[in-house]
Amino acid sequence: MKAIISRGFKPIDSPSPENSARRWTLKEKLLLGMTPRQYFGQAVCNPFNWVLGLIFLIGIPLLIYRFAFGLGSVTHSSYDYPWGLLLGFGLFVMVPLSASGFLLGTAVNIFGRHDLHHIERLALLNGLLGYFFAVVFLIADLGQPWRLPYPMFVAFGTGAVLFLVAWHVSTYLSVQIAEVSEGFFEWMGWPQAVKFVKRITVGLTVSAIILSTLHQGALGALFTYAPGKLHPLWYAAEFQWIHFFCSSIAAGLCMVIVVSTIIKKTMAWRCDAGFLDNLDAQTLTLAKGACMALITYFAIKMLAVAHDNEWAYLATGWGLWFLFELAFGILVPLVIMSYGIRHKRAGIARLGAVATVLGIALNRLNCALIAFNWRLYQEVPHWAEVMLCVTIFAFYIVVYRAILYRLPILYSWKAKEAHAPEAVRERIPFGVSVRPSHHQVFRTRD
Amino acid sequence: MADLKRTKIALMFFLAVGVGSGAAALGMDLPETVLLNSLSRYYDGVSFDHALHEQVADCASCHHHTTGMPSQDPDCMRCHAGAAEMGVVACRDCHAAEPFSAGYLKAKKADTHRYHTDQLGLKGAYHQSCLGCHQAMGAPIGCLDCHQRNQAGDELFRAGALSSAGPAASR
Amino acid sequence: MSGISRRKFLAASMAGSAAATLSLTSGAFGAALLEGYPDGMGVLVDMTRCIGCRSCEAACNKEQQLPAPEMAFDDPAAFDYSYHAGQKRRTTEAAYTVVNRYEIQGEEQPVYRKIQCNHCNEPACLTSCFVNAYTKTKEGAVMFNDKVCVGCRTCMVACPFNIPAYSYSSAFNPVVKKCVFCHETRLKNGLPPACVEICPQEALTFGNRRDLIKIAHQRINDNPGRYVDHLYGEKELGGTSWMYLSSVPFEQLAFDTTLGREPIISNVKGFLGAVPMVLAIWPALFTGFHLLATKNKHGEGHQADHPIQEDDKQ
Ligand code: SF4
Ligand code: SF4
Ligand code: SF4
Repeated sequence: MKAIISRGFKPIDSPSPENSARRWTLKEKLLLGMTPRQYFGQAVCNPFNWVLGLIFLIGIPLLIYRFAFGLGSVTHSSYDYPWGLLLGFGLFVMVPLSASGFLLGTAVNIFGRHDLHHIERLALLNGLLGYFFAVVFLIADLGQPWRLPYPMFVAFGTGAVLFLVAWHVSTYLSVQIAEVSEGFFEWMGWPQAVKFVKRITVGLTVSAIILSTLHQGALGALFTYAPGKLHPLWYAAEFQWIHFFCSSIAAGLCMVIVVSTIIKKTMAWRCDAGFLDNLDAQTLTLAKGACMALITYFAIKMLAVAHDNEWAYLATGWGLWFLFELAFGILVPLVIMSYGIRHKRAGIARLGAVATVLGIALNRLNCALIAFNWRLYQEVPHWAEVMLCVTIFAFYIVVYRAILYRLPILYSWKAKEAHAPEAVRERIPFGVSVRPSHHQVFRTRD
Repeated sequence: MADLKRTKIALMFFLAVGVGSGAAALGMDLPETVLLNSLSRYYDGVSFDHALHEQVADCASCHHHTTGMPSQDPDCMRCHAGAAEMGVVACRDCHAAEPFSAGYLKAKKADTHRYHTDQLGLKGAYHQSCLGCHQAMGAPIGCLDCHQRNQAGDELFRAGALSSAGPAASR
Repeated sequence: MSGISRRKFLAASMAGSAAATLSLTSGAFGAALLEGYPDGMGVLVDMTRCIGCRSCEAACNKEQQLPAPEMAFDDPAAFDYSYHAGQKRRTTEAAYTVVNRYEIQGEEQPVYRKIQCNHCNEPACLTSCFVNAYTKTKEGAVMFNDKVCVGCRTCMVACPFNIPAYSYSSAFNPVVKKCVFCHETRLKNGLPPACVEICPQEALTFGNRRDLIKIAHQRINDNPGRYVDHLYGEKELGGTSWMYLSSVPFEQLAFDTTLGREPIISNVKGFLGAVPMVLAIWPALFTGFHLLATKNKHGEGHQADHPIQEDDKQ
């Protein structure tokens, strides 16, 4: 891709070709303005695609095999570890890493932090895709995935935490689709739809906050059903949901930093100046937010240990592992990011963000698998289950990348005719980001 | 157990034991063998050698106070110290064959003055009695040492060949 | 505050209350607390009587029409079977009850422990199920409806006794399998469960749960030294229909003695209680924040657009 760009190619970023009244066709938009031959050529040249291809070569047949022969064919069919890696990673790790959508939505639309608006769409997309693929992981893991709508339409276990998760995740998915659809409608050239989405932005954002608070917490609350199984250091009846909620804030913010870093390294051609120029500053702001969340998270974690008086456990092997998680999952990232923020070194903050993402992923894996059944034995996932996770994650990357290539997430859609001046004026006071106008303001200032 | 209704006459499940001469002195009609076949669904009936067991145990070891011999349990003696020989001494007379049937449970509950509320059923009574003693005396304790399992029993246990490897005894 | 902002406030609140109506949780979790079962039946498992004959396993297998076991029910090798270094057999999709042997130091005879669903008074499996697949019948049985089970396996995570097993082997209709107290075939017809009926030692005493509690304490009192003075399941986790008497401390038989008396759902209440609060407070709170944060920007353009500036201000 970089090679093509360096030869002067410019990917589509407006409704019509320059100096032309004609509009891009959908096919042209999908191919970013390249000929199919060009497009295919660049795809083949990218070594990462080879890796993906290899993963799919093994993973897709495996996925078909799983559905044909049941969960027992790709897992250890463990009765003691009903939740394996597919959920331990796919649901419990993916969901907190996708908290970014509601966080940035809140910052920009509720708290009026328009300084973050360049990265808002990325955060929203990160949220949507994360949730979507968490559901894909879930479908791969459920015994009877075709019954997934049952809690919505057939049988209601209203007092169950998972009922809340199911309803909230599905509602939230639609909220997120609506939020992200703004960019899609711009790209499709449907100004009316764009206008409509803008009008309901605040409502969407507030419902996103509610739904996210509850289901991020609910994922933690799920473990309060298993007081005897989850190690006491990771278990905290009253605090579990707060732990999960707080850490999801840090995880979501840091995931955006990580993704934007990867984008900056590999996909700079798709970003516009507004995105690239502001990235460092936005990274630091996000890191700041993540630090606050991490500090709170750490404090509540200690509070939970103190509340249940579990200090004695710290001296055991499990205690060391717990301390390891605290140190490398919270404290080290905290120190790194603080240093980065203090010295305004975005690169260092990024390092801390990676550590945070890994640390919180470790926490979720600890809860779901490692410190679960601590009095029984350790379950090592079946290789096929690991492979399935890798495959679905690869799908996630492919879809993520495909959308970033096309929709105006990293760049602004130069569709001036879509925004009548009045419409712009109406929106601005209420903090709804209106990309093209911001973009213009920005350009002239710089 | 004088408070029990003694309406049923048990003939099939007679498990009367007496110590040879003592029992003779009591003028009882002692059976040579007793056929125990309440498990006949899965096992052939057991022909219990009553005469043999008279040599090794007191009447009271199995029959509590009903044969007129004093009970070995001081707790039982509180009420049954002066008990004379009773009209029926068979296990079945007191130990119900179906102790958990709705009818039996209901009747037991209705009988509010009943003292023996935790009375064993028939099968439990003789297994606990037999196995307990067998274990103490070092006698055989495997299921198939006493019982011949029939076809249905083999099917139930999903066992092709009869195995005499019995479990450990009761406590 | 202009008309538009009011409209927005309303829109946001609407979205919030829409979310509120979606969550019926707030009213429902209180109802999940069950106030005892006067007609509830139970089984008293007296482990001092059990001889490990495994007739109960065989009878259960037949009654519930389960697949043939790997080892015959009279094969003593089953007691030596272990998985994952030292785990004794547990209930599976093909075995709703299992008897394990424990060699106890200082005891002449091994102790046998039969496990099956304990048919809790306030079942964790029931309260955790998001499609309400579980019901507790008036006879005390905890039943499972495989027509609605989605296969999320949360009940397996929730069951403190590790009882429900998932039929992983089935590709198209995997469901949770567990002891059902022989409810359909026996219990509701006034018959004892198959395992109780076959037990030669009457190690399993079937009856009204309340009566069983009395009987159990009577046994403890009448036989000094025979039992440890505890009826496992009388109080644990709000009580279970199946209860255990033992001659050795329960921990030595791998009973979880750390569970406490509160039902599992009590641990979850902290969160469930927070749900209505979040639903009620968040919409107003955040819409308020929004209005505050954006009010002054009215007509001022986008001074907040410059991130560095914004950061410096702080
Ligand atoms: S023992 Fe487990 S499966 Fe049985 S009722 Fe209790 S929680 Fe449910
Ligand atoms: S009650 Fe019925 S289903 Fe449960 S273990 Fe006994 S025989 Fe099996
Ligand atoms: S049938 Fe009774 S004695 Fe035999 S193993 Fe089962 S509970 Fe123990």
